[in-house]
Amino acid sequence: MTGTKNNVINGTAAPSRGRFVNTGNGPTFQAIDIGHPEYVAMIEPDTAFWSLIQRESRTACLSEGGLLKSYAKKSKQFAKEMNSLRFGLKPSAVYFNPTEQCNMNCTYCYIPEKMRRHGEHMPEKKLFAALDILKRYFHKTLPKDSMPQIIFHGAEPLLNREAVFAGIKEYEDDFLFGVQTNATLLDDKAVEFLTSHHVSIGISLDAPAARIADRTRKNWDGQGIFNKVVAAMERLEGYEGWSVICTVTSANLRHLSKLVDFFHEKEVPTCLMNILRCTLPSSRSLKPGDAEAVRYFLAALDRTYELYEQTGRRLPVGNFANILLAIIAPAARRLMCDISPCGGGRCFFALDPNGGMFPCSEFIGLDHFQSGNLFTDDIPTVLQSEPFRLVTDRKVEDIEPCRHCAIRHFCGAPCPAEAYEMNGGMNKTGAFCEFYEEQVRYAFRVIADGKVDAYLWDGWDKGMKTTFNINKD
Amino acid sequence: MKEKKVKKDVIAYRKGCKAKGTGLSHYILMNRKVK
Repeated sequence: MTGTKNNVINGTAAPSRGRFVNTGNGPTFQAIDIGHPEYVAMIEPDTAFWSLIQRESRTACLSEGGLLKSYAKKSKQFAKEMNSLRFGLKPSAVYFNPTEQCNMNCTYCYIPEKMRRHGEHMPEKKLFAALDILKRYFHKTLPKDSMPQIIFHGAEPLLNREAVFAGIKEYEDDFLFGVQTNATLLDDKAVEFLTSHHVSIGISLDAPAARIADRTRKNWDGQGIFNKVVAAMERLEGYEGWSVICTVTSANLRHLSKLVDFFHEKEVPTCLMNILRCTLPSSRSLKPGDAEAVRYFLAALDRTYELYEQTGRRLPVGNFANILLAIIAPAARRLMCDISPCGGGRCFFALDPNGGMFPCSEFIGLDHFQSGNLFTDDIPTVLQSEPFRLVTDRKVEDIEPCRHCAIRHFCGAPCPAEAYEMNGGMNKTGAFCEFYEEQVRYAFRVIADGKVDAYLWDGWDKGMKTTFNINKD
Repeated sequence: MKEKKVKKDVIAYRKGCKAKGTGLSHYILMNRKVK
């Protein structure tokens, strides 16, 4: 199914016992300069195996000795793990848009303006019918101990608040619920309802001050909403299940470290600092260059570490934490954008207010990626339809230069919507590459310096088993 | 006196678990169970 079998030691592709690195049936170890004074990385890309080796020892590690022998014992297991992660998962979440409308007109939104301005709500009766269909579907497909997730998403889901809250109340034993909102409608009553029903709440904020945040996130009259978001953050203080998404653009890039301070001060449990998606042309005017984005993003990560050292309290930046996890515990990643195929259409799918099904929210508004309707079509058939297969079949092995890239399973060449719309095809990269290269290098430096715990959440490895440790094997 | 940490020649480890990833970059539900 994938190219992994040729790099599993003792494969049968050639009459070779796989005794040597980089020849015959031996594994391909690619050496990577991670920008660390003492260590370089050796990566076997197909199995996402990595090691950090003291610079002066790196040649010795390629010989028929310790590292190779230890890897040989585990290579099949690692290949199987990657194969299962990439091709063996079933959908367990739905990004559910209960309305087309939004009370905001953010510059970089991926939902077309016409839809957000004049769209319709899903009626309560229909929302219940949708949840009922999904409940029956997941009951058939997921193990009994697994709870599917419904994330009410937008546009702005709280514009259809009555229907959304009624759905949460009615189906709270059947799903884990989440809401991603611009926070303008997150008043006391809404916070009381959502927190008392244990709903995960995601809000959006791009900067620590109104004059910057309001540049890109504003209502239809051009007014910013910074103060409303900050008021909502204060209402959420003390609740464990909330997070903030910052979209990193050329408009706020220089302020990311200050934003880290602001989030930390507000006791934000987790945040995302997502680089802008360039799927729609309107967002591309805010696209920062990779090098500039890296500089400020990594400085923001440094700042989270400094604050942790000073206060003992972490601020995990979820998208970076996910890359760190992709390296040290591949199956533990939560976000499915930085793996190929991505999670769109295989770990989750998206639903528009008419019941239209899309591989991911990022495709809502791109009509040619709608395939089927929840109310009239069979879900498994839709998941196998051509628009879904375009996304679920997109692999780094088919993309240049990803097919040669040592970190292809730590980055995953996101995002298919962006690659297709901006760069002209599924076999293209997305809008950013160096940004991911540098994040992976940073992650390896974090590992080399023994600082992993500072960038993840409390108990991140609970329930995990150590499957390899060169210093204990 | 603080003991100087000895740098290992090689660092290589991996952890495993059941895959449960469902997130996309528009939303975060990392590892915080509110239920």
